[in-house]
Formats: sequence, C-alpha cells, structure tokens
Amino acid sequence: MEIKTITSANIPVFFNNLVKSGKVVVAPVLKQSGKVFFESVQSYDQVSTDYIQTAFSAKSVVFPEVEELFSYTKKEDGDFEFRNDMSNVPETVIWGLRPCDSSAFNYLTDFFLKENPDTYFKLRKERTTLISVSCAKADAACFCTSVGLNPGNVTGSDILLTAMGDSYYVEISTEKGKSVIDTALFTDSTEKSKEEFLAKVETKFSMDEIRERIQTAYDSAEWKHESMGCLGCGACAFSCPTCTCFDIQDEGSQESGKRLRCWDACGFGQFTRHASGHNPKSNQTARRRQRLMHKFKYSVENFGIVSCVGCGRCIRVCPAHLNIFENILNVTKA
Amino acid sequence: MDKENKYIPYRVRIAKKTQESSNIQTYRLEFVDEKDAENFSFRSGQFCEYGVPGEGESTFCIASPDTRKGYVECTFRTTGRVTAALANCEENDIISLRGPFGNAFPIEQWYGKNVVFVTGGIALPPLRCVIDTLLDQREKFGEISVYYGAKNVEELTYKAELEEWAARGDMNLFITVDPGGETPEWKNFIGFVPTILEQNPPKSDNAVAVIAGPPILIKLGMPILAKSGFPNDQIYTTLENRMKCGVGKCGHCTVGKTYVCKDGPVFTYEEVLGMPLEY
Repeated sequence: MEIKTITSANIPVFFNNLVKSGKVVVAPVLKQSGKVFFESVQSYDQVSTDYIQTAFSAKSVVFPEVEELFSYTKKEDGDFEFRNDMSNVPETVIWGLRPCDSSAFNYLTDFFLKENPDTYFKLRKERTTLISVSCAKADAACFCTSVGLNPGNVTGSDILLTAMGDSYYVEISTEKGKSVIDTALFTDSTEKSKEEFLAKVETKFSMDEIRERIQTAYDSAEWKHESMGCLGCGACAFSCPTCTCFDIQDEGSQESGKRLRCWDACGFGQFTRHASGHNPKSNQTARRRQRLMHKFKYSVENFGIVSCVGCGRCIRVCPAHLNIFENILNVTKA
Repeated sequence: MDKENKYIPYRVRIAKKTQESSNIQTYRLEFVDEKDAENFSFRSGQFCEYGVPGEGESTFCIASPDTRKGYVECTFRTTGRVTAALANCEENDIISLRGPFGNAFPIEQWYGKNVVFVTGGIALPPLRCVIDTLLDQREKFGEISVYYGAKNVEELTYKAELEEWAARGDMNLFITVDPGGETPEWKNFIGFVPTILEQNPPKSDNAVAVIAGPPILIKLGMPILAKSGFPNDQIYTTLENRMKCGVGKCGHCTVGKTYVCKDGPVFTYEEVLGMPLEY
C-alpha cells in the first residue's frame, strides 16, 4: 500500500490525463432522469461527483449485459467456422465506483477465475483498473458496515481516493494502480486519517449473528411473508454488483450469427424450469430464498465470501419495496 | 473439458440417426476435426451441450459408454426450439458440441457387485451409457437388473436394445408401461416404475443401485431402494436440472449451494439427502 495526496484542483488533470493516455475511462454521469450511470466519458466536466450510488454497478465492464462468446458462419460444405476475437477489448479505467462495488469485483474475480476460469472475464479484468472514491454520504439503503465492509475500504480497488476538503487522500494498493499514477500530480501524504471524511453507515445487523442463524434459515416460515410482493422482475439482480447468472442465446440465422451470453436472474419464473415443465424452484418464495441464501450462505460455503456488499441498489430499485436486510433479519430471527 | 475457452464448441457430424419413437431420436456423432477426436475423452455419466448454431444449445447426457471410442451418442426428445432444430438435422449434418462436463459414475468401485438400474421415460439414455459400460466388461459384475418404464409402449426408448438385452439371458429386466399405456400385444409389466420396484424388490446384498428419471421417480424411488436394504451411499442418481454453461457459472442448475453441472450430475442418495428439494 502506498499513500499519496493530490489537490482537488489536480483531480480533473489526473482524470483527463487518463483519457489522453488512450484508455477508455468509465465514470458516473448524471442523466436527465436524475439517476447516475456509469458510462465512457471524455472529460472530467461530464463526471458526476454528487451521488450516493450509481443506478447500476460497473460490473458490466468485466461482465457485459450481452457478450459475444463467438460468431459462426456455415460454410458451403455444411461445416462451421467459429470465431472469437477479443483483441479489441480496450484498457479501461473505472472511475468513481464506491468501495462496496470495488469489493464486489473481488468476489467476481473469485467466482469467475478460481475454478473453470472464464476466458472472457479474465481478459476484461486484466485490462481494467479500478479507481474508487470513498463515500462521504450514505442513505437509508446503504448497509456495507453490516457485511464487513465500510465506506472507505480499499478491498478490490487499485486506487482509492478519499476527498478531504481541498485535497484527496490516495491509497494505491496494486502495481496496476501505481502504473496509472501521474507522479507530478501526487505528493507524499502527511494526512493522518481519512475517517472523519467518511460517511456514517448505520449497522443493520451483525454478520456474526447472521452467519450462525442463516445455517437453518432455509426452513424458516418467514420466507413466504418476506417474498410476498416479489414480482420476479429481476431488477435486483440486474442492478446487483455481485450477481453473475447468465443465459446463453443465439442471435442470427442458421447460416451466420453470434452466440451470446446475457444477464439472467434467479427471480425469473423460467430460470430453473425444465423442458418437461417441472420447475424445482416453482414459486417466487423459493426464488427469493435462493437469491438471499446464495448471497449470505452458499457463497460463504463455496468461496468464503458473503456475496452481498451492502450497496443498497436492490432496495432502492425494487418496485415492491422488498428490503434485503430486513428480509435477512426476519428469516434469521431467533 | 480441457479447452481453455469452455464456450467454443467442437464441430461434430451426425454419423447415424436412429428414430427411437415419433419424437425421440439418437444421434451418433463423430468429430469433424481429427485432433478434436484425439483430445476428447469422457467417462460414463458425463454430459454435453449439443447445439444448432442460430437456435441454441441443449443439455443431454452422453448416451454411449466410455468403453466405445471414436464417437459420442446422444438421445433426446423433441421439446422446444433447440431440440426441434436438432431433430430436423439429417445424417452428415454438422452440429456443435461442448463438453464433456460434470463427474461420472464410479464404475470401478462396482466390480464384483450386483448392479440395479431404475429409470423411466427419456431417462434411460443416461443409464444406457452405464449399462453398456457394464455389458462391455460383463464378467466384472454380478447380476445386472433393469427396471424401466414409460408412459406408453410408443415412448419406450431403445426398443431394439431392450430386445437384445432380453435375448442375452444374463440380465433381469422389468420393463413396464404406465396403466393405460399398454397395447393389446404388450406382454411385460403394467404399472408405474416405483410400484413395479416395490412389488419386485431387488436384492441389496453386495449390490449398488442407480436411479435416473423424471424428478418424481428419483424422489419416490430412492426411499424404496433404501427400504430394500441398499445403503444410502450405494444408491446413485444423476440429477438433470436446467443448464446453460456446464461449468458452474450460469447459475441455472443449483440445488442449494451445489452446482449439478460441476459438482454432479452424479450424486449418492446420501449426498442428495443433504440437499434441499430443488431438483
């Protein structure tokens, strides 16, 4: 870990230099809807700094909503040609993601690369640098502190920036982070602590208690009540920084086209439906339970990580006002 | 599957097409590229993703035994878009194949034992692969019994092979159709597979049981086998949840924390008892 400091006035210079270096820079941008989305930007003027959380996470940089697995052409003799060219995947900097989201990248990396490493994710991740910005504000949906994280954690980030009045506290965690630092703009830090500049995020539950009680939560009678209202719309999964489920679909004709993988959601009724019509997770209660048990129990068993980072997006976006931490509290209550 | 990119398929040619019934067909598939044929090896119990580019991929077990090299067979029922496109293919057409995926039956551990197979409908293919593996080294096993049923006579898979098995004289066959599914000529059992299994219980001494089928048959059949005296870790099944990727990523096939595609599809009853009823 290397600690530096940069003046607030130099932040736009640093940012614009990243753009000039030829990298694609993805940063939060305020849209007419009043919501903030990650998109590729050309200048720091376009970047939003006044936001609690982006509507979607930046996971689409490493795991796009729709990704071409390969393209195919049927030749005259009936044989196929399969082509997969990823040489055009650009070096990308994600700027301004929150510490919860950068932590999510750690989980995604474990999930996609530990076993049966995923060629597509691997390449995109290798070409991505994460420059996160600590949270100065939080809202009622934020609960990172309940899942072992905090508004200034460095987990997953190559560089973490924390605004401290007229300067930024800079924590550089990786070689990749070092390589994008423009030394002229940064000086050695003399600041003592970033803590006072971080948002206060209320702790909704103790993970120690949950970890114990989630073991028997599958059979809780509360699931039915807690999932009531779930429309199976999948908005929670699509906005989630750690959801990884996908579908594989072909686009084109039998002569030529592409095989694509597209985000999918365990909340969809067809997600587990067999060809016979039999559906092992046949109702919304079973599907909501799958989503929450996966985050808080199964991923702990499979990867040693709670795969919920407390970003609060699923709470803000749910049309039925389902609240993941309230759900978890209720299915694990003694 | 040894390929680094698990999503780029092999190209395979339909060397032989057998119409098992009006909507069930068996394909023998040979690799277009000889190098692929050399690199491809599988064990009985594994599955593949079979596809028609432009339509998509479907998941079926490998229906031929690992004792027979140089080709892969699959048997499937026409159900949706992909299987309809596959069923429309003719001999010599080329389709896509990914795999093999998943674990396999521990057949070496069954040497010297009696083996009982219980299955129904379109779930004979995953066990036919195992049955043929045993028949190819018949002397290594004790009695081989097969309980197999379908809705009606038409839907029985591998009718020709069922007759061959009966003619061998070294297998105990309990072939049945659901009540009402029989024809006037039908000479075999009539009744659901679990009923026939209960009425003609297999001997569990020095024996293992293998059950595959629609989920209801697995759920009803495993306790019957356990009651017949088979230890829970000597009852094997193959679960077949919906799958897309085959490598534990897409999330469709999960049963609790377990991915059927990479942790299975072969599980013992003991393992299944530790899982939620999500299959």
